[in-house]
Amino acid sequence: MVRESSPCRSQKCRCLLLGLTVILIFGAVAVFAAVIFAGRRDPPAVLLQWKGRGSTDNLKEIMLGRCFTYTEMVNPELRKDCLKIWETFKNAFISKNPCNITEQDYQPLMELAAHPILCNKTLLWSKTNELAHKYTKVQGNFLTLEDTLLGYMADGLTWCGNPSSSEMNYQSCPHWRECANNPSSVYWKMASRAFAEAACGVVHVMLNGSISQPFGNSSIFGSVEVHHLNPKKVHLMKIWVMHNIGGQPSDSCSGSSIKELKSIIEGRNIAFSCEDDHRAVQLIQCVGNPEEPACRVCRT
Amino acid sequence: MESSDLALQGLMLFLLLFLMGQANVYTRAGEKRWSGEGTNPHLESIFLGRCNEYISVVNPELSKKNCSAIWEAFESVVHKDPCSVLPSDYDLFINLSRHSIPRDKSLFWENNYNLVTAYADNTRRLIPVTDMLYGRVGDLINWCRQENGSGFDYHSCPTVEDCENNAVDSFWKRASSQYAHDSSGVIHVMLNGSEPSGAYPVEGFFADYEIPNFQKDKVTQFEIWVMHEIGGPYLPVKLLKCLDYTAHADCIFNLAAESTQQRFPSLFGGKWDPSLLFFLFLALASEIQL
Repeated sequence: MVRESSPCRSQKCRCLLLGLTVILIFGAVAVFAAVIFAGRRDPPAVLLQWKGRGSTDNLKEIMLGRCFTYTEMVNPELRKDCLKIWETFKNAFISKNPCNITEQDYQPLMELAAHPILCNKTLLWSKTNELAHKYTKVQGNFLTLEDTLLGYMADGLTWCGNPSSSEMNYQSCPHWRECANNPSSVYWKMASRAFAEAACGVVHVMLNGSISQPFGNSSIFGSVEVHHLNPKKVHLMKIWVMHNIGGQPSDSCSGSSIKELKSIIEGRNIAFSCEDDHRAVQLIQCVGNPEEPACRVCRT
Repeated sequence: MESSDLALQGLMLFLLLFLMGQANVYTRAGEKRWSGEGTNPHLESIFLGRCNEYISVVNPELSKKNCSAIWEAFESVVHKDPCSVLPSDYDLFINLSRHSIPRDKSLFWENNYNLVTAYADNTRRLIPVTDMLYGRVGDLINWCRQENGSGFDYHSCPTVEDCENNAVDSFWKRASSQYAHDSSGVIHVMLNGSEPSGAYPVEGFFADYEIPNFQKDKVTQFEIWVMHEIGGPYLPVKLLKCLDYTAHADCIFNLAAESTQQRFPSLFGGKWDPSLLFFLFLALASEIQL
């Protein structure tokens, strides 16, 4: 212990110690800050709230199961990659604001999942959801959109995403009154358009004669499907105006609403015919109302 | 001489191997081990899709059910030898998927699947076993284990002609028993009066696995509906026939004659053909029901 060196060393030591401490402190602060900011880089996404029902639970399992059922059992000649279809479907709306969905978002899915339809089988419908589908399920000769892959997979389901999140929003999804460009509305609009474009030969349409306007341009039928039938492929449109059994008919083939439809269709060079209460469909209604006079058979 | 002998031997060996190879190929491609169709491709996805759809959409009261566990229980049964599967092997599967049947909603049937399905309307009107969770997941599909392997056999599966204790028949025996056991109130039964061997099969699922399991203290009444094919002598048959021949003289209803409707072949194949018996039910039911 040389007295001369101790003050020197102690000074050096102190400097060194001080330096080390400062470095340590800075290091700790840096690490601390890095941890904090790294955490801050992915803030928990704020779940937007909407007025409509949330995404259907287990949507992926349901849609995959439906896709496989459709391609293996309903329409076995169709060869589609269901897993790819699911991924493409999900990418259309995941991580996006569900009020800003565009047609481009769904275009890849439309191309993957669209398939041709036999001529004379197309059944369009408006305000006759339940009756039209009961009819096609039993009759089997006609196809609604919901009997094609795109419609079959999505029928009755709800879905939407959330910005900056890879999760679906299971709490709520936009109602169409909140914003028109929500994931469901855009999907059905595009699928309906593709369905109308694929139609050929005779196209049948089931309309509701028990409401004030069986045909209107606010419905998908009136705003999308009517305008996307291809006159080079479709030569005749046959309307069935169905009325509630035992109810008061509000409109019929001779009404103004149907006349408007007639002029639009004939203006597009497609022939037009209309029938009130097509009997085969009425029989379906009769199953639920067998006592009604219209459902009784004339005994010979 | 030697080389020609060798060549001859080589040629014979080659021929032998070739023929064996051909026989092997023929056995695998031409002849199926069992008489029934093989396991459905993507069975697990279809099963899970149906299960999830049932608990999320059809009957959301069942949302607490665990479809993965139900699948595990179902799949574990198929680990057994394809001709050694017993109905009781499905006990865990049934325990996990079982749920109550609303009173007066049961519908039993023989030989008229399409009509039953159409009339039941996806549980809205009545609930046949295929509209229960445990029936829905197995409806219209096939499954079995390979004879010498642990995976599914996608080529063929045993039917009752091959062996009684096969996976699919045992499944329906177990499901039918449970369904009958859990039924209460009015029991509806739809039989096919045009079946040549008789409307009530003395040996069938209804007779062997459902009737013995009804609970006497829960069942109030049986309502039997005997349905007939078109062309029979009964008046209600006309209604059904009229779907196809609406312009026929016998089919004139209250208003003017309808347009004739051509018969179109089935769109996608036999499985989803319409059953015209559906409309027969309308007329018959309106006569039988109180």
